[in-house]
Amino acid sequence: MRSPWIITPLALAASTSGYAMTYLTVEQAQSVIFPQGKLNRAPIKLSSTQRDAIAKASGIRVRMTDLRVWRVEGGGWFIVDEVLGKHEFITYAVGLTAKGIVTAVEIMDYRESYGSEVRGEKWRAQFVGKTVAAPLKLDQDIKNLSGATLSSRHITDGVKRLLVTHDLVLKPIS
Amino acid sequence: MTSCSSQSPELVRARPLLGTVVEIRVCARSLASGTAAINHAFAAVARVHALMSPHDPASDVSRINRATAASVICVDPWTFAVLATSQDLATRTNGVFDISTRPSAGRNTASPRESWGQLDLLPRNRVRCSLPLKIDLGGIAKGFAVDRAVAALQRAGIVSGVVNAGGDLRVFGPRAERIHLRHPFSPGHCLIAAELVDEALATSANYFDPARQGRLVRPDGRRLWLQRGSVSVMAPNAMLADALCKVVAAIGIRRAAPVLREHHASALVLGRGQPDRIEQLADAA
Repeated sequence: MRSPWIITPLALAASTSGYAMTYLTVEQAQSVIFPQGKLNRAPIKLSSTQRDAIAKASGIRVRMTDLRVWRVEGGGWFIVDEVLGKHEFITYAVGLTAKGIVTAVEIMDYRESYGSEVRGEKWRAQFVGKTVAAPLKLDQDIKNLSGATLSSRHITDGVKRLLVTHDLVLKPIS
Repeated sequence: MTSCSSQSPELVRARPLLGTVVEIRVCARSLASGTAAINHAFAAVARVHALMSPHDPASDVSRINRATAASVICVDPWTFAVLATSQDLATRTNGVFDISTRPSAGRNTASPRESWGQLDLLPRNRVRCSLPLKIDLGGIAKGFAVDRAVAALQRAGIVSGVVNAGGDLRVFGPRAERIHLRHPFSPGHCLIAAELVDEALATSANYFDPARQGRLVRPDGRRLWLQRGSVSVMAPNAMLADALCKVVAAIGIRRAAPVLREHHASALVLGRGQPDRIEQLADAA
């Protein structure tokens, strides 16, 4: 009976201290969310009054005042936003109809970071001398992770903040 | 193994769904066909979310949870399929896998077996609860969503790829994919890898909040076998991997061995108790 699991050699176990993935550039996200749309950059800077109003109405802190917004010809908005969790930093894009209904949320960039120390030294020690069926190379990219149970709550909060932003800032100028 | 080929570019996309980040990676014949296929797959995941979220009042799960005793409810065939697998696993595990909770019933009045036994599956996608009860498909729906996404990709002509819903993942097609498992006490690190060809892998743990042991809970309130560390299960599809992961976390590899073997699944436990250790069970088939 072959074991389907490959035990990573100890010395290499610490070769990563995070997980990062780029899914879409701004242009790619635009063509995924608005395949036929013509988008024009709409530079928007929030005033401190707007910033406070958005924070108050959404219940979510507003970190950035320079918005990355594109107006879709014929109605609608494309917004690039960032959210920050304890260990994760996520850039994502949202498509809105002219009325402010979300048509899509696409993650553009996702990175996790942690302290580089490996906790549980005693536990790790047991792997010394264990068979290594297929050693990992140090330069090998980690493409698929199991056990990644980070929640998407920060993105949900971010979208909520953008919907309020649309209501208070974008809708009046559309 | 890592790239598709020059004729078939690799596309990777991710959306926030099912309370986690769902990532889809495919080899596509063209950018346009790959993008369209991935959109279909995300739509399938979103549909599972809409049918089975306990927070959405219009979902099948919420409708069952609101149902009065003995009323018959017609559910979507997808919901019915998940309920059927859940009830089958409940039978095979003697109620260890249990989608139901009866918060109103006192500890002494209802045994766990009584609880899931109150949900009857009837022909034509109908269900009946003989007593009011609350169900939660959180231990199986994510895996099912991954399977539906894979089916949508295959229907759209995608030959190989990976769908990963926050650690519940499935690899399809002829290519082997290497999957890494997080270090249970150091989530920025990987420790174990597995090569998957046309199969699924799920991991359950509580990496990100060590103070709170209970991301996994047993519906009957009993103590989990897995107090710390992680459980991973490899199975032919993601729904089984997801659900069997919960069974192993509840009762341990040894006691779960029969049901794992019945489903051609294998399990790996990292770092349970003191001293921490690795336990594994390979599929006998």
